[in-house]
Amino acid sequence: MKPEERSEYLEEYAEDKKKGIPFFPDAVFKDVLVGLTVLIVLIGFAYFGGAPLEERADPSDADYTPRPEWYFLWLFQLLKYFPGNLEFVGVILLPALGFAILFAMPYLDRTRLRHFRSRTWVMGSMGVAVAAMGFLTVQSMIDIPLPANVTGEINAAALFTEHCSVCHGTAIEIHEGTNLHETIAGGHEGMPAFAATLSIDEIDALSGFLVSPQGGAIFTANCAECHDSGDLAAVSPFELQAALSQGTGYAAHADLDIPEWEEVVFGQDRTALLNFLLAPDGQRLYGLYCSECHGPAIDWDGDRDQLEVLIREGGNHREMTQWRDVLPDSEITLLALYVVEPSSSPDGEPLFAQHCADCHGVRVPTAVDIETAVEIIADGMSHRSMPLWGDVLTEEQLTALTTYTLDASRGTPTLIGQALFGRLCSTCHGDFGEGGPHPSDPTNIIAPISTAIYLETRDDATIRAIISKGPSEGMAPFLESEGGPLTSDEIDALVAFIRAWEDDPPVEFPPEIEQGPVAGGSRQVFSTFCAQCHGEDGAGGADLVGPSLTSDTFQNAYSDEELFASIDRGHSATSMIAWGDVLTAGQVEGLVEHIRSLVSRTIVYSRDIEPIFQASCSACHGSLGGWDSSSMQLVIESGDSGPAVIPGDPEGSNLVRSLRGTGMQTMPPAGELSDVQIDLIVEWITGGATEEVTIGGEQAGGSAYTWTVDVQPILAASCGACHGSSGGWDAATYDSTINSGNGGPAVSPGNADGSSLAQRLLGNGALMPPGSALSDDQIQIIIDWINNGAAR
Amino acid sequence: MVHGEEQWTSGAGMAKMSRRTFLSRATTTMVGGIGALMGIPTVAYLVSPAKARGGLGVDRLPLGPISKFPVGEPTLFKAAIERKTGWVTQTEELAFYVFTEDGRNFSAMSNICTHLGCRVRWITDDEQFFCPCHSATFNKNGTVASGPPPRALDQFELLVEDEQLFVVGKVEA
Amino acid sequence: MIEKIDLWFEERMGWRPIWKALALRNIPKVTWAYTLGSATLLVMVNQILTGILLTIYYVPSPQDAYNSVSFITNEITAGWLIRGLHHWGASAMVILAGLHMIRVVVHGAYKFPREVTWFTGLGLLAVTMAFGFTGYLLPWDQKAYWATTVGTRMLEVVPVIGPWLLRFARGGEELSAVTLTRFYGMHIWVLPALLMLLIGIHMFLVVRIGISAPPKASETEEEGPELEVEA
Ligand code: HEM
Ligand code: HEM
Ligand code: FES
Repeated sequence: MKPEERSEYLEEYAEDKKKGIPFFPDAVFKDVLVGLTVLIVLIGFAYFGGAPLEERADPSDADYTPRPEWYFLWLFQLLKYFPGNLEFVGVILLPALGFAILFAMPYLDRTRLRHFRSRTWVMGSMGVAVAAMGFLTVQSMIDIPLPANVTGEINAAALFTEHCSVCHGTAIEIHEGTNLHETIAGGHEGMPAFAATLSIDEIDALSGFLVSPQGGAIFTANCAECHDSGDLAAVSPFELQAALSQGTGYAAHADLDIPEWEEVVFGQDRTALLNFLLAPDGQRLYGLYCSECHGPAIDWDGDRDQLEVLIREGGNHREMTQWRDVLPDSEITLLALYVVEPSSSPDGEPLFAQHCADCHGVRVPTAVDIETAVEIIADGMSHRSMPLWGDVLTEEQLTALTTYTLDASRGTPTLIGQALFGRLCSTCHGDFGEGGPHPSDPTNIIAPISTAIYLETRDDATIRAIISKGPSEGMAPFLESEGGPLTSDEIDALVAFIRAWEDDPPVEFPPEIEQGPVAGGSRQVFSTFCAQCHGEDGAGGADLVGPSLTSDTFQNAYSDEELFASIDRGHSATSMIAWGDVLTAGQVEGLVEHIRSLVSRTIVYSRDIEPIFQASCSACHGSLGGWDSSSMQLVIESGDSGPAVIPGDPEGSNLVRSLRGTGMQTMPPAGELSDVQIDLIVEWITGGATEEVTIGGEQAGGSAYTWTVDVQPILAASCGACHGSSGGWDAATYDSTINSGNGGPAVSPGNADGSSLAQRLLGNGALMPPGSALSDDQIQIIIDWINNGAAR
Repeated sequence: MVHGEEQWTSGAGMAKMSRRTFLSRATTTMVGGIGALMGIPTVAYLVSPAKARGGLGVDRLPLGPISKFPVGEPTLFKAAIERKTGWVTQTEELAFYVFTEDGRNFSAMSNICTHLGCRVRWITDDEQFFCPCHSATFNKNGTVASGPPPRALDQFELLVEDEQLFVVGKVEA
Repeated sequence: MIEKIDLWFEERMGWRPIWKALALRNIPKVTWAYTLGSATLLVMVNQILTGILLTIYYVPSPQDAYNSVSFITNEITAGWLIRGLHHWGASAMVILAGLHMIRVVVHGAYKFPREVTWFTGLGLLAVTMAFGFTGYLLPWDQKAYWATTVGTRMLEVVPVIGPWLLRFARGGEELSAVTLTRFYGMHIWVLPALLMLLIGIHMFLVVRIGISAPPKASETEEEGPELEVEA
């Protein structure tokens, strides 16, 4: 508005006012009349609508479908159109933009014109905005209030509420053919991947829930009283069908007061229920029911309809000739060889082309081994043992399964990779990347490559590089350009296959201790693995790769944690591998201790202990009374409740209790000392709490306890009566004490935790001696004896 | 402003009232209506809890078998009741002096002084209840003997059933 | 009688000039649409009155909130009415403020000289929505709890500071007693204070500048004000 327009307006307004009406009572009358009406309407609402109050808030009930107050519904609905990363736009940007526009109205609409007819665009945009908000609100109200129908024990609804409803509101429209599992697990267009958050069963339950909301309602109405949908999610479709068809004839339902389900849940309802319990998700169905016999994928070269018929008719589909009647045994064997390992028996190819290709196409069917292959070819009717899936699966499930099987048969990188891995890598790395002794050099142990930690610590590029170029020793480069057999694409496929382990590592190291060389106590582990490079005594040596572990410089340079980390993760670019892949954390810890015990160490009070007290205690603990940290003597003798330190007995020393927080109060109050510092103080006290304390060395290296002197008397007194030569564990001689036992050797020297003798004495498993444990001291003697190598 | 008044002074058919006066009155009336619609519930809402009178909170409060009450001397008995105030349920302890001359007829009175609510206690030597706060004394039957209390100790109605003694309510003065 | 009381006060307070300036002034001829603002105002007064009454029995803690609200609804005389008025009033206020705003837009009343009135109006609208959001949690029933869970989670989508905002709104990772008390504090102290401030300015300006006259269709004509056409 220009200045003259402004004053014009003011003049005009003054005129309007003069010709106007008195505020009181004319205008006030209208206001009050409307006000009174509004109030009466409100009272009416209060009277007829009440003041709603639902059940008390129950934070553990995640089935509840949240509904914001109606005037926020439009915003809630808006979210559905802005999934994933775009959410921000829907929730914040758009409303903020709307508000900003409102704020700017006086500046956007700046003419002097006020009548709505002269301001069409303002009226228009306002109309559009109001209509949009109205539309969104209505939309959100009429959207199937899906989870609201499904209450009760259904955890899928809870999962939905927790993870999906924020963006998707109350329902998601599922397009046909969507692979829900993949979408949920892997994320999609801004939607996060839930693979890490949800278990496979949870994802399954969720998919069923989404695909078949109706099934969810049926489940709630009929089954939820006894079953959790999660329980039934992975149950075989045969069981489900049986349970539904047999009514009380179904064993598990026999004694229950339930209706004949056939009469209650039939037709569409039954389908919906089955779809709910077992989401029509091909990949999952295949994994659950097909892969056991067919492996990760089926070679299928026919068309989709054939495949569907095959799956549907399963065992009825005995289309394959009994080749036994047609071909001589030799040719069958040849074919079998070809089928199992095409490259190894090229002679089979023409035979295959002649007899098989008509139905099987160029793809070769798979078989586990030659015998199976021979059998299948000879007997024909290859699907004899296959269930008639058409009878048990719903149409939706069948379609999904067929689609997946078809897709998978075309081959995914993972599948190609798997084939390559089986051919080229598994000889050394094992079928599941579990490693093991090198085939040509059994002393050389190949570490597993399929553990979570291995995969986590190596990105695709690294794995690719390792395969392509070969690591420094032992493995040849595999990439063509490096002289290997594989193309770049094939290596990518291998990487994809190896990476696929990450979701579900086939090898969970530590491998069981019994597995050969990895077993044993710290000393044994050390001599198996570490001694090769660091020497049997850990002192290194001119002809050894590893440094001395016993030098002062080495011992002082690293804290226990650092040692642990070194062993656990290894050093890249050296032959020190990440032993954490091979050894348990306990074993690595044992190694650290072992390394420490290789040398005798001297703890000097003034050098090692005093600085700790000075830094952390002396501010408060001076000569003010109570414990005084200012000199060694006072450290030991002073204290509110007697001497703070009892030399030789850290557990009984108040100082240690305070430091560990096991006493009245944790000291220092501002924060505990580090474990290393506490351990140092404990060791100092253990060693006698003098100015110079020596620990480790031969004292820790050799056991104070021997079988003959310490252990045998205990065993003879408490065990001998039952454990003689009558079988089972035999406590009579040293050798039998160690090696006999119902479940393998009772003692694993160096490893009390892994020795059933020690465990049974401690009462892990049935307590021995039955009913009356040995005294703690006796048990401790035996444990120490085992841990120190079980000396004779 | 005068303009409105003049124009409407002679309202035809209606009672002789200017439009202005009519509007004023109507407005005032409606304001009064709004005030009443909001005010009356407000007052009701505010005074509502005052209607609740303390009672026993239960039908009957068991004090125990009559055989255990000493004869001739008021004895203090305590009983816990659950009392709901607002939305909070609390356990409260009520105390009664139970008195019987013959082991058959009982009387029970509150141990709360009727002056300002201190706890009275029976002084055997004086054969009187004594309130330590303002040194009031009550007789054995609860009537005021001396001091500021305005009335006798509150009496409770008792019931004997199956040799059990119950308190069933307050005796209204 | 009334005149006497009136006089008695007038002599001591001298309020008649104020009454005259406020009530007996002339305003342009207005339509029924102009009552929307005062209707909103009435509902606002209703919210404040019933809100204060609710606080008399309401306790903002997870243990007590639900019980106290249920006590108000079911046991206190007219409690259902007071809560009902507050509950429905909240919706009514949002609707009426919205309609009032539409009225203002239709009349172009946000133009000179009423820009500040418009700005404070927007503030009022925001405060009203905030009232609705914070108040919704207070009864601590299922809908309260879960709607607020989802409502606050929306904050998480803000880039960078989203998670922090969420914790700020909830007073921690999860909805808890802390959330309840801070929503209560907002609803009872912070927002009312803002409301008072904004409505104070809003009303002052309405009186001071005067209510706009309903625009005339003839305004487009060049001659402007001289051409006096009756509306
Ligand atoms: C709590 C909410 C509100 C209350 C209680 C309120 C109250 C009022 C009242 C009583 C008037 C006098 C004129 C009439 O009734 O139309 C008025 C005028 C006005 N209001 Fe509001 N209002 C509120 C919200 C808003 C909102 C949301 C806006 C716009 C964003 C707004 C903008 C205006 C403007 C520009 C005027 C001057 C209109 C004119 O002179 O024609 N107000 N308000
Ligand atoms: C703009 C004004 C206000 C709005 C829009 C508003 C909105 C709300 C809403 C939606 C609820 C939940 C009611 C229910 O579900 O039952 C609520 C509850 C509550 N409000 Fe307000 N409120 C407003 C003003 C106030 C004021 C001014 C106070 C007091 C100072 C107040 C005190 C309370 C209390 C104590 C509750 C909890 C009791 C109950 O839920 O019934 N409100 N408010
Ligand atoms: S309270 Fe008992 S005498 Fe005053």
